[in-house]
Amino acid sequence: MRYVFKKLATTLITLLCISFLVYLAFDIIPGDAALASLGTDATPERIKAVREELGLNRPFMERYVDWLINFVKGDFGISYKYNVPVSEMILSKLPINVVMAVTAFIIMAGVSVPVGIYSAKHKGKGVDRLIIVLNQVMMSVPHFFMGILITYIFGLIFKIFTPGGFVSYETDLGGFILYMIFPCIAIALPKIAMSVKLLRGSCIEEAGKDYVRTAYSKGNNTSKVLYRHVLRNAMLPVITLWGMTLADMIVGSIVIEQVFNIPGIGRILLTSISYRDYPVVEAIIVLIALVVIVTNFCVDIIYQIVDPRISAQKDILSK
Amino acid sequence: MQIRKKYSKKKHSANLIIGLVITSIMLFLIILGFFYTPYDPTKMDSSAKLAAPSLSHLMGCDNFGRDIFSRVLKGMGNTFIIAFATVVIGVVSGVIIGAVTGYFGGWLDEVVMRINDVVFAFPSILLALVFISLFGTGKYNVVLALGIAFVPSFARIVRGEFIKYREMDYVKSARLAGVPHMRIIFVHILPNTMTVLLSSIMIGFNNAVLAEAGMSYLGIGVQPPDASLGSMLSEAQGYLFSAPNYAVFTGLMIILLVLGFSLLADGLKN
Repeated sequence: MRYVFKKLATTLITLLCISFLVYLAFDIIPGDAALASLGTDATPERIKAVREELGLNRPFMERYVDWLINFVKGDFGISYKYNVPVSEMILSKLPINVVMAVTAFIIMAGVSVPVGIYSAKHKGKGVDRLIIVLNQVMMSVPHFFMGILITYIFGLIFKIFTPGGFVSYETDLGGFILYMIFPCIAIALPKIAMSVKLLRGSCIEEAGKDYVRTAYSKGNNTSKVLYRHVLRNAMLPVITLWGMTLADMIVGSIVIEQVFNIPGIGRILLTSISYRDYPVVEAIIVLIALVVIVTNFCVDIIYQIVDPRISAQKDILSK
Repeated sequence: MQIRKKYSKKKHSANLIIGLVITSIMLFLIILGFFYTPYDPTKMDSSAKLAAPSLSHLMGCDNFGRDIFSRVLKGMGNTFIIAFATVVIGVVSGVIIGAVTGYFGGWLDEVVMRINDVVFAFPSILLALVFISLFGTGKYNVVLALGIAFVPSFARIVRGEFIKYREMDYVKSARLAGVPHMRIIFVHILPNTMTVLLSSIMIGFNNAVLAEAGMSYLGIGVQPPDASLGSMLSEAQGYLFSAPNYAVFTGLMIILLVLGFSLLADGLKN
Protein backbone atom coordinates (compact mmCIF):
# COMPACT_ATOMS: atom_id res chain seq x y z
CA MET A 1 0.00 0.00 0.00
CA ARG A 2 2.82 2.30 0.95
CA TYR A 3 4.28 1.71 -2.49
CA VAL A 4 1.01 2.62 -4.16
CA PHE A 5 0.76 5.92 -2.29
CA LYS A 6 4.34 6.81 -3.04
CA LYS A 7 3.78 6.07 -6.74
CA LEU A 8 0.57 8.07 -6.72
CA ALA A 9 2.35 11.04 -5.19
CA THR A 10 5.18 11.00 -7.75
CA THR A 11 2.65 10.58 -10.55
CA LEU A 12 0.71 13.64 -9.41
CA ILE A 13 3.89 15.70 -9.06
CA THR A 14 5.01 14.65 -12.54
CA LEU A 15 1.64 15.70 -13.93
CA LEU A 16 1.83 19.06 -12.22
CA CYS A 17 5.34 19.64 -13.54
CA ILE A 18 4.32 18.82 -17.10
CA SER A 19 1.25 21.04 -17.01
CA PHE A 20 3.35 23.88 -15.57
CA LEU A 21 6.12 23.49 -18.14
CA VAL A 22 3.69 23.31 -21.05
CA TYR A 23 1.78 26.36 -19.83
CA LEU A 24 5.01 28.25 -19.25
CA ALA A 25 6.38 27.33 -22.67
CA PHE A 26 3.30 28.58 -24.48
CA ASP A 27 3.28 31.70 -22.33
CA ILE A 28 6.84 32.77 -23.10
CA ILE A 29 6.59 32.64 -26.87
CA PRO A 30 5.71 35.86 -28.64
CA GLY A 31 2.19 36.35 -29.97
CA ASP A 32 -0.73 35.85 -27.64
CA ALA A 33 -4.48 35.49 -27.66
CA ALA A 34 -5.02 39.21 -28.15
CA LEU A 35 -2.92 39.31 -31.30
CA ALA A 36 -4.35 36.09 -32.62
CA SER A 37 -7.98 37.07 -32.21
CA LEU A 38 -7.53 40.58 -33.62
CA GLY A 39 -5.52 39.43 -36.63
CA THR A 40 -4.82 42.24 -39.09
CA ASP A 41 -6.81 44.97 -37.32
CA ALA A 42 -4.46 44.94 -34.33
CA THR A 43 -3.60 48.42 -33.10
CA PRO A 44 -1.68 48.95 -29.85
CA GLU A 45 -4.82 50.33 -28.15
CA ARG A 46 -7.06 47.48 -29.22
CA ILE A 47 -4.48 44.87 -28.24
CA LYS A 48 -4.33 46.48 -24.83
CA ALA A 49 -8.11 46.44 -24.51
CA VAL A 50 -8.41 42.81 -25.56
CA ARG A 51 -5.59 41.79 -23.23
CA GLU A 52 -7.44 43.49 -20.41
CA GLU A 53 -10.66 41.74 -21.38
CA LEU A 54 -9.09 38.29 -21.59
CA GLY A 55 -7.23 38.78 -18.31
CA LEU A 56 -3.81 38.41 -19.89
CA ASN A 57 -2.38 41.22 -17.76
CA ARG A 58 -2.63 39.25 -14.55
CA PRO A 59 0.49 37.69 -13.05
CA PHE A 60 1.64 34.43 -14.57
CA MET A 61 1.07 32.22 -11.55
CA GLU A 62 -2.48 33.46 -11.12
CA ARG A 63 -3.31 32.64 -14.72
CA TYR A 64 -1.63 29.23 -14.47
CA VAL A 65 -3.60 28.25 -11.38
CA ASP A 66 -6.83 29.43 -12.98
CA TRP A 67 -6.07 27.49 -16.14
CA LEU A 68 -5.19 24.38 -14.14
CA ILE A 69 -8.39 24.50 -12.08
CA ASN A 70 -10.46 24.95 -15.21
CA PHE A 71 -8.56 22.14 -16.89
CA VAL A 72 -9.35 19.76 -14.07
CA LYS A 73 -13.00 20.81 -14.32
CA GLY A 74 -12.91 19.93 -18.03
CA ASP A 75 -12.87 23.49 -19.35
CA PHE A 76 -9.86 23.75 -21.66
CA GLY A 77 -10.40 27.33 -22.77
CA ILE A 78 -11.55 28.79 -26.08
CA SER A 79 -9.92 28.16 -29.44
CA TYR A 80 -8.40 31.31 -30.93
CA LYS A 81 -9.11 30.18 -34.42
CA TYR A 82 -12.64 28.77 -34.26
CA ASN A 83 -13.89 30.59 -31.17
CA VAL A 84 -15.50 27.45 -29.76
CA PRO A 85 -14.65 25.71 -26.47
CA VAL A 86 -11.62 23.47 -26.90
CA SER A 87 -13.28 20.71 -24.90
CA GLU A 88 -16.05 20.52 -27.50
CA MET A 89 -13.54 20.22 -30.33
CA ILE A 90 -11.59 17.48 -28.58
CA LEU A 91 -14.32 15.44 -26.97
CA SER A 92 -16.18 14.79 -30.22
CA LYS A 93 -13.01 13.31 -31.73
CA LEU A 94 -11.71 11.51 -28.68
CA PRO A 95 -13.69 8.26 -29.19
CA ILE A 96 -11.94 7.72 -32.53
CA ASN A 97 -8.48 7.73 -30.97
CA VAL A 98 -9.53 5.76 -27.93
CA VAL A 99 -11.11 3.08 -30.13
CA MET A 100 -7.98 3.02 -32.28
CA ALA A 101 -5.51 2.66 -29.43
CA VAL A 102 -7.58 0.14 -27.48
CA THR A 103 -8.31 -2.05 -30.53
CA ALA A 104 -4.66 -1.99 -31.55
CA PHE A 105 -3.72 -2.95 -28.02
CA ILE A 106 -6.16 -5.86 -27.97
CA ILE A 107 -4.91 -7.08 -31.35
CA MET A 108 -1.35 -6.87 -30.09
CA ALA A 109 -2.02 -8.73 -26.86
CA GLY A 110 -4.22 -11.31 -28.54
CA VAL A 111 -1.76 -12.14 -31.29
CA SER A 112 1.60 -11.80 -29.58
CA VAL A 113 1.01 -14.10 -26.59
CA PRO A 114 0.09 -17.25 -28.55
CA VAL A 115 2.72 -16.58 -31.20
CA GLY A 116 5.40 -15.91 -28.60
CA ILE A 117 4.58 -19.08 -26.68
CA TYR A 118 4.44 -21.13 -29.86
CA SER A 119 7.77 -19.75 -30.96
CA ALA A 120 9.41 -20.49 -27.58
CA LYS A 121 7.91 -23.97 -27.49
CA HIS A 122 9.27 -24.84 -30.90
CA LYS A 123 12.58 -23.14 -30.44
CA GLY A 124 15.02 -23.71 -33.28
CA LYS A 125 12.47 -25.32 -35.59
CA GLY A 126 11.56 -23.95 -39.00
CA VAL A 127 8.46 -22.01 -37.93
CA ASP A 128 10.33 -20.41 -35.05
CA ARG A 129 13.10 -19.31 -37.40
CA LEU A 130 10.54 -17.82 -39.76
CA ILE A 131 8.90 -15.97 -36.87
CA ILE A 132 12.27 -14.57 -35.77
CA VAL A 133 13.07 -13.27 -39.23
CA LEU A 134 9.59 -11.80 -39.69
CA ASN A 135 9.86 -10.15 -36.28
CA GLN A 136 13.17 -8.56 -37.07
CA VAL A 137 11.87 -7.13 -40.34
CA MET A 138 8.54 -6.05 -38.86
CA MET A 139 10.26 -4.10 -36.09
CA SER A 140 12.05 -2.01 -38.68
CA VAL A 141 8.91 -0.96 -40.53
CA PRO A 142 7.65 2.48 -39.48
CA HIS A 143 3.97 2.15 -38.70
CA PHE A 144 2.94 4.81 -41.18
CA PHE A 145 4.65 2.88 -43.97
CA MET A 146 2.86 -0.21 -42.71
CA GLY A 147 -0.33 1.81 -43.08
CA ILE A 148 0.56 2.74 -46.66
CA LEU A 149 1.32 -0.89 -47.51
CA ILE A 150 -1.98 -2.00 -45.96
CA THR A 151 -3.81 0.69 -47.93
CA TYR A 152 -2.17 -0.55 -51.10
CA ILE A 153 -2.73 -4.26 -50.53
CA PHE A 154 -6.17 -4.32 -48.91
CA GLY A 155 -7.55 -1.07 -50.25
CA LEU A 156 -6.29 -0.92 -53.82
CA ILE A 157 -5.59 -4.53 -54.78
CA PHE A 158 -8.18 -6.51 -52.82
CA LYS A 159 -10.57 -3.56 -52.52
CA ILE A 160 -11.76 -4.56 -49.04
CA PHE A 161 -12.06 -0.92 -48.02
CA THR A 162 -11.99 2.44 -49.76
CA PRO A 163 -8.74 4.26 -48.99
CA GLY A 164 -9.53 7.64 -47.50
CA GLY A 165 -13.22 6.80 -47.24
CA PHE A 166 -13.58 7.24 -43.51
CA VAL A 167 -17.11 6.77 -42.15
CA SER A 168 -18.05 8.33 -38.84
CA TYR A 169 -19.25 6.01 -36.09
CA GLU A 170 -22.30 8.25 -35.77
CA THR A 171 -23.54 7.55 -39.29
CA ASP A 172 -22.53 3.95 -39.95
CA LEU A 173 -21.12 1.87 -37.12
CA GLY A 174 -20.43 -1.21 -39.25
CA GLY A 175 -18.57 0.79 -41.86
CA PHE A 176 -16.64 2.56 -39.13
CA ILE A 177 -15.49 -0.73 -37.59
CA LEU A 178 -14.54 -2.20 -40.97
CA TYR A 179 -12.52 0.90 -41.80
CA MET A 180 -10.84 1.20 -38.42
CA ILE A 181 -9.60 -2.40 -38.39
CA PHE A 182 -6.88 -1.53 -40.90
CA PRO A 183 -5.25 1.41 -39.14
CA CYS A 184 -5.37 -0.61 -35.93
CA ILE A 185 -3.50 -3.47 -37.59
CA ALA A 186 -0.95 -0.98 -38.90
CA ILE A 187 -0.35 0.34 -35.40
CA ALA A 188 -0.32 -3.12 -33.83
CA LEU A 189 2.00 -5.00 -36.22
CA PRO A 190 5.37 -3.51 -35.21
CA LYS A 191 4.38 -3.83 -31.55
CA ILE A 192 3.38 -7.46 -32.05
CA ALA A 193 6.86 -8.12 -33.36
CA MET A 194 8.43 -6.48 -30.32
CA SER A 195 6.37 -8.34 -27.76
CA VAL A 196 6.71 -11.70 -29.51
CA LYS A 197 10.47 -11.27 -29.45
CA LEU A 198 10.48 -10.31 -25.79
CA LEU A 199 8.05 -13.03 -24.72
CA ARG A 200 9.93 -15.70 -26.63
CA GLY A 201 13.21 -14.65 -25.06
CA SER A 202 11.89 -14.47 -21.53
CA CYS A 203 10.00 -17.80 -21.85
CA ILE A 204 13.19 -19.52 -22.94
CA GLU A 205 15.16 -17.85 -20.18
CA GLU A 206 12.63 -18.77 -17.49
CA ALA A 207 12.41 -22.33 -18.79
CA GLY A 208 16.07 -22.79 -17.97
CA LYS A 209 15.62 -22.00 -14.29
CA ASP A 210 15.67 -24.42 -11.37
CA TYR A 211 12.03 -24.09 -10.37
CA VAL A 212 11.03 -25.45 -13.75
CA ARG A 213 13.00 -28.63 -13.12
CA THR A 214 11.37 -28.91 -9.71
CA ALA A 215 7.95 -28.48 -11.27
CA TYR A 216 8.72 -31.21 -13.79
CA SER A 217 10.05 -33.54 -11.11
CA LYS A 218 6.79 -33.16 -9.23
CA GLY A 219 5.12 -34.81 -12.18
CA ASN A 220 3.72 -31.84 -14.08
CA ASN A 221 3.51 -32.12 -17.82
CA THR A 222 4.89 -29.53 -20.19
CA SER A 223 1.74 -27.49 -20.65
CA LYS A 224 1.12 -27.31 -16.90
CA VAL A 225 4.67 -26.15 -16.26
CA LEU A 226 4.38 -23.67 -19.08
CA TYR A 227 1.06 -22.08 -18.19
CA ARG A 228 1.20 -22.28 -14.39
CA HIS A 229 4.84 -21.54 -13.75
CA VAL A 230 6.87 -20.26 -16.66
CA LEU A 231 4.35 -17.95 -18.26
CA ARG A 232 3.58 -16.04 -15.07
CA ASN A 233 7.20 -15.04 -14.71
CA ALA A 234 7.85 -14.65 -18.40
CA MET A 235 4.98 -12.16 -18.75
CA LEU A 236 6.53 -9.60 -16.37
CA PRO A 237 8.87 -7.87 -18.84
CA VAL A 238 6.15 -8.11 -21.48
CA ILE A 239 3.70 -6.22 -19.25
CA THR A 240 6.24 -3.43 -18.81
CA LEU A 241 6.65 -3.24 -22.57
CA TRP A 242 2.89 -3.16 -23.06
CA GLY A 243 2.59 -0.25 -20.68
CA MET A 244 5.01 1.77 -22.75
CA THR A 245 3.37 0.52 -25.92
CA LEU A 246 -0.05 1.85 -25.01
CA ALA A 247 1.45 5.31 -24.78
CA ASP A 248 3.19 4.77 -28.12
CA MET A 249 -0.07 3.67 -29.67
CA ILE A 250 -1.91 6.78 -28.58
CA VAL A 251 0.81 8.97 -30.07
CA GLY A 252 1.20 6.64 -33.05
CA SER A 253 -2.49 6.99 -33.82
CA ILE A 254 -1.81 10.68 -34.52
CA VAL A 255 0.45 9.72 -37.41
CA ILE A 256 -1.69 6.82 -38.59
CA GLU A 257 -4.69 9.14 -38.71
CA GLN A 258 -2.98 11.04 -41.51
CA VAL A 259 -2.26 7.85 -43.44
CA PHE A 260 -5.88 6.71 -43.39
CA ASN A 261 -7.37 10.18 -43.56
CA ILE A 262 -9.17 9.86 -40.24
CA PRO A 263 -10.38 13.10 -38.64
CA GLY A 264 -9.21 12.51 -35.08
CA ILE A 265 -7.26 14.31 -32.37
CA GLY A 266 -4.13 14.21 -34.49
CA ARG A 267 -5.65 16.25 -37.26
CA ILE A 268 -6.86 18.89 -34.78
CA LEU A 269 -3.40 18.97 -33.22
CA LEU A 270 -1.62 19.41 -36.55
CA THR A 271 -3.95 22.10 -37.88
CA SER A 272 -3.81 23.92 -34.54
CA ILE A 273 -0.04 23.86 -34.67
CA SER A 274 -0.03 25.42 -38.13
CA TYR A 275 -2.60 28.08 -37.10
CA ARG A 276 -0.76 28.69 -33.80
CA ASP A 277 -3.99 28.00 -31.98
CA TYR A 278 -2.25 27.58 -28.64
CA PRO A 279 -5.12 26.76 -26.26
CA VAL A 280 -5.96 23.74 -28.41
CA VAL A 281 -2.34 22.58 -28.71
CA GLU A 282 -1.83 23.07 -24.98
CA ALA A 283 -4.95 21.12 -24.05
CA ILE A 284 -4.23 18.19 -26.37
CA ILE A 285 -0.63 17.89 -25.26
CA VAL A 286 -1.44 17.98 -21.57
CA LEU A 287 -4.28 15.54 -22.16
CA ILE A 288 -2.07 13.04 -23.98
CA ALA A 289 0.63 13.40 -21.33
CA LEU A 290 -2.07 12.75 -18.73
CA VAL A 291 -3.16 9.55 -20.45
CA VAL A 292 0.43 8.39 -20.85
CA ILE A 293 1.37 9.03 -17.24
CA VAL A 294 -1.79 7.50 -15.82
CA THR A 295 -1.14 4.45 -18.00
CA ASN A 296 2.38 4.17 -16.62
CA PHE A 297 0.99 4.43 -13.11
CA CYS A 298 -1.51 1.64 -13.77
CA VAL A 299 1.20 -0.55 -15.26
CA ASP A 300 3.30 -0.09 -12.13
CA ILE A 301 0.37 -1.10 -9.96
CA ILE A 302 -0.57 -4.10 -12.12
CA TYR A 303 3.04 -5.16 -12.14
CA GLN A 304 3.02 -5.06 -8.40
CA ILE A 305 -0.07 -7.25 -8.20
CA VAL A 306 1.38 -9.79 -10.60
CA ASP A 307 4.72 -9.83 -8.81
CA PRO A 308 4.41 -9.19 -5.05
CA ARG A 309 8.19 -9.30 -4.74
CA ILE A 310 8.42 -5.77 -6.13
CA SER A 311 6.37 -4.03 -3.46
CA ALA A 312 8.18 -5.95 -0.75
CA GLN A 313 11.50 -4.84 -2.19
CA LYS A 314 10.49 -1.24 -2.62
CA ASP A 315 9.11 -1.04 0.92
CA ILE A 316 12.36 -2.32 2.34
CA LEU A 317 14.37 0.07 0.19
CA SER A 318 12.28 3.09 1.12
CA LYS A 319 12.70 2.53 4.84
CA MET B 1 9.40 -27.85 -24.44
CA GLN B 2 13.08 -28.19 -24.96
CA ILE B 3 14.86 -26.75 -21.96
CA ARG B 4 18.26 -25.83 -23.09
CA LYS B 5 19.82 -22.52 -22.37
CA LYS B 6 22.35 -23.02 -25.09
CA TYR B 7 22.03 -20.15 -27.51
CA SER B 8 23.05 -21.02 -30.99
CA LYS B 9 26.22 -19.10 -31.73
CA LYS B 10 25.64 -19.34 -35.43
CA LYS B 11 22.45 -17.29 -35.45
CA HIS B 12 23.98 -14.39 -33.61
CA SER B 13 27.02 -14.10 -35.76
CA ALA B 14 24.69 -14.31 -38.77
CA ASN B 15 22.78 -11.33 -37.33
CA LEU B 16 26.00 -9.42 -37.00
CA ILE B 17 27.15 -10.21 -40.52
CA ILE B 18 23.83 -9.43 -42.19
CA GLY B 19 23.56 -6.24 -40.15
CA LEU B 20 27.06 -5.25 -41.11
CA VAL B 21 26.42 -5.90 -44.80
CA ILE B 22 23.13 -3.96 -44.87
CA THR B 23 24.56 -1.07 -42.85
CA SER B 24 27.67 -0.77 -44.99
CA ILE B 25 25.62 -0.74 -48.19
CA MET B 26 23.32 1.92 -46.76
CA LEU B 27 26.24 4.00 -45.49
CA PHE B 28 27.90 3.71 -48.87
CA LEU B 29 24.72 4.93 -50.58
CA ILE B 30 24.39 7.79 -48.10
CA ILE B 31 27.98 8.91 -48.60
CA LEU B 32 27.59 8.50 -52.36
CA GLY B 33 24.51 10.70 -52.18
CA PHE B 34 26.52 13.55 -50.67
CA PHE B 35 28.83 13.70 -53.67
CA TYR B 36 27.01 12.17 -56.58
CA THR B 37 23.45 11.48 -57.67
CA PRO B 38 22.57 10.10 -61.10
CA TYR B 39 20.25 13.08 -61.70
CA ASP B 40 19.75 16.44 -60.07
CA PRO B 41 17.32 15.50 -57.25
CA THR B 42 15.29 18.69 -57.73
CA LYS B 43 15.28 18.80 -61.53
CA MET B 44 11.83 18.21 -62.96
CA ASP B 45 11.36 16.42 -66.24
CA SER B 46 7.78 16.69 -67.45
CA SER B 47 8.23 13.90 -69.99
CA ALA B 48 9.16 11.41 -67.26
CA LYS B 49 6.28 12.01 -64.84
CA LEU B 50 5.63 8.87 -62.78
CA ALA B 51 7.89 6.87 -65.08
CA ALA B 52 8.20 3.20 -64.18
CA PRO B 53 11.55 1.85 -62.97
CA SER B 54 13.94 1.35 -65.85
CA LEU B 55 17.65 1.28 -66.51
CA SER B 56 17.84 5.06 -66.81
CA HIS B 57 15.68 5.66 -63.73
CA LEU B 58 16.40 2.77 -61.33
CA MET B 59 13.42 3.45 -59.09
CA GLY B 60 11.33 5.39 -61.57
CA CYS B 61 10.27 9.03 -61.36
CA ASP B 62 7.91 10.92 -59.09
CA ASN B 63 4.92 13.07 -59.94
CA PHE B 64 7.14 15.97 -61.02
CA GLY B 65 9.37 13.73 -63.11
CA ARG B 66 12.22 13.83 -60.60
CA ASP B 67 14.43 10.76 -60.37
CA ILE B 68 13.34 8.80 -57.27
CA PHE B 69 16.69 7.10 -56.77
CA SER B 70 18.52 10.43 -56.65
CA ARG B 71 15.96 11.82 -54.24
CA VAL B 72 16.15 8.72 -52.08
CA LEU B 73 19.93 9.14 -51.85
CA LYS B 74 19.58 12.79 -50.81
CA GLY B 75 16.71 11.98 -48.49
CA MET B 76 18.66 9.24 -46.74
CA GLY B 77 21.49 11.70 -46.27
CA ASN B 78 19.13 14.20 -44.63
CA THR B 79 17.57 11.54 -42.44
CA PHE B 80 20.99 10.25 -41.47
CA ILE B 81 22.34 13.68 -40.53
CA ILE B 82 19.26 14.47 -38.45
CA ALA B 83 19.33 11.11 -36.69
CA PHE B 84 23.06 11.41 -36.12
CA ALA B 85 22.83 14.92 -34.67
CA THR B 86 19.91 13.85 -32.49
CA VAL B 87 21.84 10.94 -31.09
CA VAL B 88 24.91 13.12 -30.51
CA ILE B 89 22.85 15.62 -28.49
CA GLY B 90 21.16 12.81 -26.59
CA VAL B 91 24.34 10.88 -25.87
CA VAL B 92 26.58 13.80 -24.91
CA SER B 93 24.08 15.36 -22.52
CA GLY B 94 22.85 11.97 -21.34
CA VAL B 95 26.37 10.80 -20.55
CA ILE B 96 27.26 13.98 -18.66
CA ILE B 97 24.02 13.99 -16.65
CA GLY B 98 24.06 10.26 -16.00
CA ALA B 99 27.75 10.20 -15.10
CA VAL B 100 27.64 13.12 -12.68
CA THR B 101 24.42 12.06 -10.94
CA GLY B 102 25.38 8.40 -10.80
CA TYR B 103 28.86 9.14 -9.53
CA PHE B 104 28.06 11.73 -6.89
CA GLY B 105 24.53 10.66 -5.93
CA GLY B 106 22.83 12.68 -3.21
CA TRP B 107 20.12 15.33 -3.57
CA LEU B 108 21.33 16.43 -7.00
CA ASP B 109 20.76 12.90 -8.21
CA GLU B 110 17.23 12.88 -6.78
CA VAL B 111 16.27 16.19 -8.38
CA VAL B 112 17.80 15.51 -11.78
CA MET B 113 16.32 12.03 -11.97
CA ARG B 114 12.84 13.38 -11.15
CA ILE B 115 13.19 15.87 -14.01
CA ASN B 116 14.42 13.00 -16.13
CA ASP B 117 11.29 11.03 -15.30
CA VAL B 118 9.12 13.95 -16.33
CA VAL B 119 10.78 14.20 -19.74
CA PHE B 120 10.84 10.42 -20.09
CA ALA B 121 7.11 10.21 -19.47
CA PHE B 122 6.58 12.50 -22.42
CA PRO B 123 6.42 10.66 -25.75
CA SER B 124 9.26 11.90 -27.97
CA ILE B 125 7.12 12.78 -30.98
CA LEU B 126 4.85 14.79 -28.70
CA LEU B 127 7.78 16.73 -27.29
CA ALA B 128 8.93 17.38 -30.82
CA LEU B 129 5.45 18.64 -31.68
CA VAL B 130 5.59 21.07 -28.75
CA PHE B 131 8.90 22.34 -30.05
CA ILE B 132 7.62 22.70 -33.58
CA SER B 133 4.56 24.60 -32.44
CA LEU B 134 6.72 26.91 -30.34
CA PHE B 135 9.59 27.56 -32.72
CA GLY B 136 8.22 26.64 -36.12
CA THR B 137 8.97 23.81 -38.55
CA GLY B 138 12.39 22.91 -39.87
CA LYS B 139 15.09 20.36 -39.45
CA TYR B 140 17.05 22.16 -36.73
CA ASN B 141 14.03 22.25 -34.48
CA VAL B 142 13.43 18.57 -35.13
CA VAL B 143 17.00 17.77 -34.17
CA LEU B 144 16.81 19.84 -31.00
CA ALA B 145 13.45 18.43 -29.96
CA LEU B 146 14.29 14.80 -30.61
CA GLY B 147 17.72 15.26 -29.06
CA ILE B 148 16.21 16.53 -25.82
CA ALA B 149 13.63 13.75 -25.86
CA PHE B 150 16.45 11.20 -26.08
CA VAL B 151 18.51 12.56 -23.18
CA PRO B 152 16.65 10.78 -20.34
CA SER B 153 17.04 7.26 -21.72
CA PHE B 154 20.80 7.66 -22.14
CA ALA B 155 21.13 9.40 -18.78
CA ARG B 156 19.34 6.53 -17.13
CA ILE B 157 21.56 3.87 -18.67
CA VAL B 158 24.80 5.71 -17.88
CA ARG B 159 23.66 6.51 -14.35
CA GLY B 160 22.93 2.86 -13.66
CA GLU B 161 26.38 1.88 -14.87
CA PHE B 162 28.07 4.56 -12.78
CA ILE B 163 26.25 3.47 -9.64
CA LYS B 164 27.57 -0.01 -10.31
CA TYR B 165 31.16 1.13 -10.82
CA ARG B 166 31.55 3.88 -8.24
CA GLU B 167 31.86 1.40 -5.36
CA MET B 168 34.43 -0.75 -7.12
CA ASP B 169 37.91 -1.07 -5.70
CA TYR B 170 39.73 0.46 -8.63
CA VAL B 171 37.62 3.59 -8.33
CA LYS B 172 38.19 3.79 -4.59
CA SER B 173 41.93 3.40 -4.94
CA ALA B 174 41.99 6.03 -7.67
CA ARG B 175 40.15 8.38 -5.34
CA LEU B 176 42.62 7.63 -2.53
CA ALA B 177 45.50 8.32 -4.88
CA GLY B 178 44.08 11.80 -5.30
CA VAL B 179 42.82 11.53 -8.87
CA PRO B 180 40.37 14.37 -9.53
CA HIS B 181 36.70 13.37 -9.77
CA MET B 182 36.34 14.48 -13.36
CA ARG B 183 39.26 12.32 -14.40
CA ILE B 184 37.82 9.30 -12.59
CA ILE B 185 34.47 9.85 -14.27
CA PHE B 186 35.66 10.32 -17.82
CA VAL B 187 38.93 8.41 -17.96
CA HIS B 188 38.47 5.58 -15.47
CA ILE B 189 34.79 4.71 -15.47
CA LEU B 190 33.32 5.94 -18.76
CA PRO B 191 35.26 3.57 -21.05
CA ASN B 192 33.81 0.64 -19.09
CA THR B 193 30.27 1.67 -19.94
CA MET B 194 30.96 1.67 -23.68
CA THR B 195 29.58 -1.78 -24.48
CA VAL B 196 26.23 -1.00 -22.89
CA LEU B 197 26.20 2.48 -24.39
CA LEU B 198 27.05 1.33 -27.90
CA SER B 199 24.03 -0.90 -28.40
CA SER B 200 21.71 1.71 -26.91
CA ILE B 201 23.21 4.29 -29.25
CA MET B 202 22.25 2.12 -32.20
CA ILE B 203 18.74 1.60 -30.89
CA GLY B 204 18.52 5.34 -30.26
CA PHE B 205 19.67 5.98 -33.82
CA ASN B 206 16.87 3.77 -35.13
CA ASN B 207 14.30 5.54 -33.00
CA ALA B 208 15.59 8.84 -34.31
CA VAL B 209 15.30 7.66 -37.92
CA LEU B 210 11.75 6.47 -37.35
CA ALA B 211 10.76 9.64 -35.48
CA GLU B 212 12.27 11.90 -38.14
CA ALA B 213 10.56 9.98 -40.91
CA GLY B 214 7.27 10.22 -39.03
CA MET B 215 7.61 13.97 -38.54
CA SER B 216 8.60 14.62 -42.12
CA TYR B 217 5.66 12.48 -43.16
CA LEU B 218 3.41 14.79 -41.16
CA GLY B 219 5.02 17.71 -42.95
CA ILE B 220 6.67 19.24 -39.89
CA GLY B 221 10.21 17.99 -40.38
CA VAL B 222 12.46 18.60 -43.38
CA GLN B 223 10.80 21.19 -45.61
CA PRO B 224 10.55 20.99 -49.41
CA PRO B 225 12.32 21.24 -51.79
CA ASP B 226 14.78 19.31 -49.58
CA ALA B 227 14.19 15.60 -49.97
CA SER B 228 13.40 13.43 -46.96
CA LEU B 229 12.22 9.84 -46.89
CA GLY B 230 9.23 10.78 -44.74
CA SER B 231 7.97 13.61 -46.91
CA MET B 232 8.56 11.53 -50.04
CA LEU B 233 6.34 8.82 -48.57
CA SER B 234 3.55 11.25 -47.87
CA GLU B 235 3.79 12.45 -51.47
CA ALA B 236 4.02 8.90 -52.78
CA GLN B 237 0.83 7.96 -50.98
CA GLY B 238 -1.16 10.10 -53.37
CA TYR B 239 0.11 8.10 -56.33
CA LEU B 240 -0.16 4.69 -54.72
CA PHE B 241 -2.39 3.37 -57.44
CA SER B 242 -0.58 4.71 -60.51
CA ALA B 243 3.00 4.40 -59.18
CA PRO B 244 3.30 2.00 -56.25
CA ASN B 245 7.05 1.79 -56.87
CA TYR B 246 7.44 5.33 -55.51
CA ALA B 247 6.12 4.43 -52.05
CA VAL B 248 7.57 0.92 -51.98
CA PHE B 249 11.16 1.92 -52.79
CA THR B 250 11.13 4.88 -50.42
CA GLY B 251 9.70 2.82 -47.57
CA LEU B 252 12.10 -0.01 -48.30
CA MET B 253 15.03 2.35 -47.74
CA ILE B 254 13.77 3.32 -44.28
CA ILE B 255 13.27 -0.35 -43.44
CA LEU B 256 16.78 -1.30 -44.60
CA LEU B 257 18.38 1.57 -42.73
CA VAL B 258 16.66 0.62 -39.49
CA LEU B 259 17.01 -3.13 -40.00
CA GLY B 260 20.76 -2.89 -40.55
CA PHE B 261 21.35 -1.04 -37.30
CA SER B 262 19.00 -3.18 -35.23
CA LEU B 263 20.67 -6.38 -36.46
CA LEU B 264 24.02 -4.84 -35.67
CA ALA B 265 22.90 -3.85 -32.17
CA ASP B 266 21.52 -7.35 -31.63
CA GLY B 267 24.72 -8.97 -32.81
CA LEU B 268 26.91 -6.71 -30.67
CA LYS B 269 24.89 -7.38 -27.54
CA ASN B 270 25.85 -11.05 -27.57
